[in-house]
Amino acid sequence: MMGAMLMVGGIGLVAALILGIASVTFAVKMDPREKAVLDQLPGANCGACGFAGCAAFAHELTTTPEVEMACPAVNKDGLKAISDILGRSLGAGDAMIAFVRCKGSPADTITRYSYVGPEDCRTAQIIAGGPKACQYGCLGLGSCVEACPFDAMHMGEDGLPHVNEDKCTGCGKCVDACPREIIALISRSANFGVRCISQDSPKEMRQYCKVGCIKCRICENTCPFEAIEVTQGNAASIDQEKCQKCGLCVSVCPTGVISSKQPSGKVQVIAEKCKGCGICAQVCPVDAISGKPKEPYVVDISKCIGCAMCIEKCPADAIERLAR
Amino acid sequence: MKDIFVSSSPHIHSEEDIPWIMRQVIYALIPGALVGMYFFGLPAAKVIVISVVSCMVIEAITQKFMGRAVTVSDGSAALTGLLLAMNLPAGSPWWLVVLGSLIAIVLGKQVYGGLGNNPFNPALVARVFLLISFPVQMTTWLQPRPFLLKVADTVSGATPLGALKTAVFEHGSIDIVGKLNLMDPFLGNIGGSLGEISAFALIIGGVYLIARRIISWHIPVFFIGTVALMTGIFWVINPNLYANPAFHILSGGLMLGAIFMATDMVTSPITNKGKIIFAVGCGVIAVVIRLWGGYPEGVSFAILIMNAFVPLINKMARQEKFGAGK
Amino acid sequence: MKTFKGGIHPPENKVLVKDNAIIELPLSKVFFVPTQQHLGAPAKPVVNTGATVKRGQVLTEPMGFVSAVVHAPTSGTVKEITKRVHPVTGLLAPYIIIEADGKDEWAPGLPLERDPFAMEAKELLNIIQLSGIVGMGGATFPTHVKLSPPKDKTIDTFIINGAECEPYLAADYRLMLEQPERIIDGARIVMKVLGLDSAIMAIEANKPDAIRLMQEKTPPEIKVEPMKVKYPQGAEKHLIDALTGREVPSGGLPMDVGALVHNAGTVAAIWDACALGIPLIERITSVTGRGINQPRNIKVRIGTPLKDVFEFCGGLNDAAKIIFGGPMMGIAQCCEDVPVMKGTSGILVLTEQETNLNSYRSCIACGRCLEACPMGLVPSMLSRLGERSMWKEALDYNLLDCVECGSCTYVCPANRPIVHFVKYLKTLQREAKAKGKGA
Repeated sequence: MMGAMLMVGGIGLVAALILGIASVTFAVKMDPREKAVLDQLPGANCGACGFAGCAAFAHELTTTPEVEMACPAVNKDGLKAISDILGRSLGAGDAMIAFVRCKGSPADTITRYSYVGPEDCRTAQIIAGGPKACQYGCLGLGSCVEACPFDAMHMGEDGLPHVNEDKCTGCGKCVDACPREIIALISRSANFGVRCISQDSPKEMRQYCKVGCIKCRICENTCPFEAIEVTQGNAASIDQEKCQKCGLCVSVCPTGVISSKQPSGKVQVIAEKCKGCGICAQVCPVDAISGKPKEPYVVDISKCIGCAMCIEKCPADAIERLAR
Repeated sequence: MKDIFVSSSPHIHSEEDIPWIMRQVIYALIPGALVGMYFFGLPAAKVIVISVVSCMVIEAITQKFMGRAVTVSDGSAALTGLLLAMNLPAGSPWWLVVLGSLIAIVLGKQVYGGLGNNPFNPALVARVFLLISFPVQMTTWLQPRPFLLKVADTVSGATPLGALKTAVFEHGSIDIVGKLNLMDPFLGNIGGSLGEISAFALIIGGVYLIARRIISWHIPVFFIGTVALMTGIFWVINPNLYANPAFHILSGGLMLGAIFMATDMVTSPITNKGKIIFAVGCGVIAVVIRLWGGYPEGVSFAILIMNAFVPLINKMARQEKFGAGK
Repeated sequence: MKTFKGGIHPPENKVLVKDNAIIELPLSKVFFVPTQQHLGAPAKPVVNTGATVKRGQVLTEPMGFVSAVVHAPTSGTVKEITKRVHPVTGLLAPYIIIEADGKDEWAPGLPLERDPFAMEAKELLNIIQLSGIVGMGGATFPTHVKLSPPKDKTIDTFIINGAECEPYLAADYRLMLEQPERIIDGARIVMKVLGLDSAIMAIEANKPDAIRLMQEKTPPEIKVEPMKVKYPQGAEKHLIDALTGREVPSGGLPMDVGALVHNAGTVAAIWDACALGIPLIERITSVTGRGINQPRNIKVRIGTPLKDVFEFCGGLNDAAKIIFGGPMMGIAQCCEDVPVMKGTSGILVLTEQETNLNSYRSCIACGRCLEACPMGLVPSMLSRLGERSMWKEALDYNLLDCVECGSCTYVCPANRPIVHFVKYLKTLQREAKAKGKGA
């Protein structure tokens, strides 16, 4: 009994000794900064940075001064922390987020046939072009959801994928997974997006989709900032840099294909500053402001769409946005 | 018009699906099981029923629990249960059989993702687990007593291979065992696991499977052939220490192993080339264990060890593609 | 009897339609003619909306050598040039829509009578190209390209493919029985173009009357060879292997081993073009399956809407799947709004019982697909890699050698859609190649 215990214990000791020596002699020398950088990265190894994984990217960041921050999942604080570690300032790219550019749930669209095969949009697409009659529409089999390394997407009850903005890092895996290029990365700060990429004419589209962009150009004509455009044959697209987040396009779109992340903040008139000039009432596109000349004007909150055109035009800086 | 379906070609399918294959293997096992019941009587029937039922129930529960589709009706669990029963002593207590079913289905199959994803033969995993954990119960053999003549009692006897091993250990020679009878293991009148005793019944099942194209002849023939060749060589060298090859072929779990366990589709190589490599490997390991190992029988271990090499064999032993240059 | 390694024996089901004589379909009111009915470069329309066209008039202009023209199936006016669903891709593709005037007037000078054997090989080849002839077995590869081997390749074996190994279909069989002269004379034209003095006609042994008739009618230089009944006996590469023992090298073409295979229907179309000046505007096809009330073999104009075909064949009954081609390699159609095309070797309407709509399971490594694969591949591995989109690894398993014959998928007891996965992997490989990312 004793002998056996000594034997096993002895083997354990010898093995431990060998391991201990090996870990010292064969240790891979790693820059401590590299380790610190790695701790700041998300560790999901999604590959969006273009490197083999978070560790590989941390190594590149530390050793090659030219490498810029390419990880979409690092937030402002993380970026600052990494800049501090490396002693060089890393430029923050515009944080991106995935956006699903199709609003055509099965209820609103025509399905041509029942697809039999692997439950994957990419395999469905190569057989007879996919079951959806619209060739630009979401197939709804969830390849993007499957591809998301951050669990930021899920299939909604409407049969379309939805993005959880808190979890989405803008890595773009879902963009690659979609065979129809329906998902795009847009600026995280963007508030509006067009949920359709169809290039079909309104006549064609009416045959199979109730909610797509019909290229009526009402949004284009309405937008006070020329930020939304319907170019030849394409669905409307928003220039996020020009967009002032007024939300007029959302309210005028006849098919409701333009979506907004959150309602724009409504406005109110600061009575003390108002000179009662009435310019605001003239520019308001929805007639939400009324009043008598030389007296403080009043905003009808129920009508206001938060487009902020009045703020821009007010000569007395007397209009402010309400908190959202 | 009704809904139209669209899928990739081809649009027709053979009627030979997984349940059909499982049914064929079960049919092929029936002769062996009947012989077991004939010689070991009611206890054998009890083991078979408990094993099959518990495997099916455990599979259903596990699949439900793991959120998978319940596929008990495909016959795969029933087949595992039957194979497990064939690999147990006929007098096994009920708890041993249920434990074996649990190991086979849960540890042997479902943890890997279910049918098709298991690297090891589930029934053998269970058998070896039980053999190591419960050596007494797993080597308590019922004396074969033809069913109609006299109901078997719990008198225990040794298997021919066991007797051989004991003789070698204790006397350094097999002469003490006496003349080795070949007719008894051929028909099944020997001690051993429930389903392994009759080479004849198992061969009938094997021929049926080959004729039905469920298994190819490669694994049984090369497995048994390797055993015959190796034991033959040593028998020629020293007939006092090593039994003759005919005895080795007919006794123990070789027939059951070579025809039914090693040929399990999931855990054997897919190409014929690979099957030959696999079978020869099984044969060599089985003989090494039989002749020089601590256990009298090595077929189960041999198959499990070779199971581990299947992915490697599949990678290496490919069939030649059309137009590769001729 | 000659054959190849691998393959399968699906139930033939040819009895549904094989004894029905070819009937001509009445002229439709509107024809939908896709501009692309061939493999290769597109062809662009040369007629405008409102133009009057005559039967046999050229409608398109090929954009490249590997391309084919299409012709007006009847006389009438071009109603519209627009995009509609294409039967092969299921996507929108350009169509020329012709409203028939019911007069069915030939283009000037057609049909003519001339002796093709008095013409030069070059001239014949030119006629074949201008007649828009493509492989009518379903592959639709332009015939003139196959007949123009590069200088360093010589063709010494010409095989007329009458195997028709796809279950259900019997169009080639009827053609061989009813119009053997068209095939034989067409074959003689091909021999003349290639400068050959012999040819082999391969017919599966399940058509003994066709074999007997052909043996009677063929001149001594055309040898009729009965083939073992096995799928895919009619696949180009396997037919060559079975008849000559030569294996087309991986990634190569039949001409690499000096062989050329043409479908019986294609050869008949060559005869029409060379002797009568009639371009490819109609074909013979089997309308069959248990989902159609009256299975028939029909002579039908290219561009005829499927609805008219179904109406002529007594309508549908419990149809679950509509397939262009045979059940093994045919293409499932998304809707009834598609027309008959040059490559439509069969129109198959299957009921739910006949087809296979079940879901699939994990591979159980039974090895049946390896036995069935006529190309000697490991289909089970390809399907596993397909599930994981691993096309690079699949190249190691000879992804690109797969001919998508469907034998593996037919026998798979786990019902795995192996061909579907192979198509998917090939798509990924093509896309990556187009992007220039590696292999």
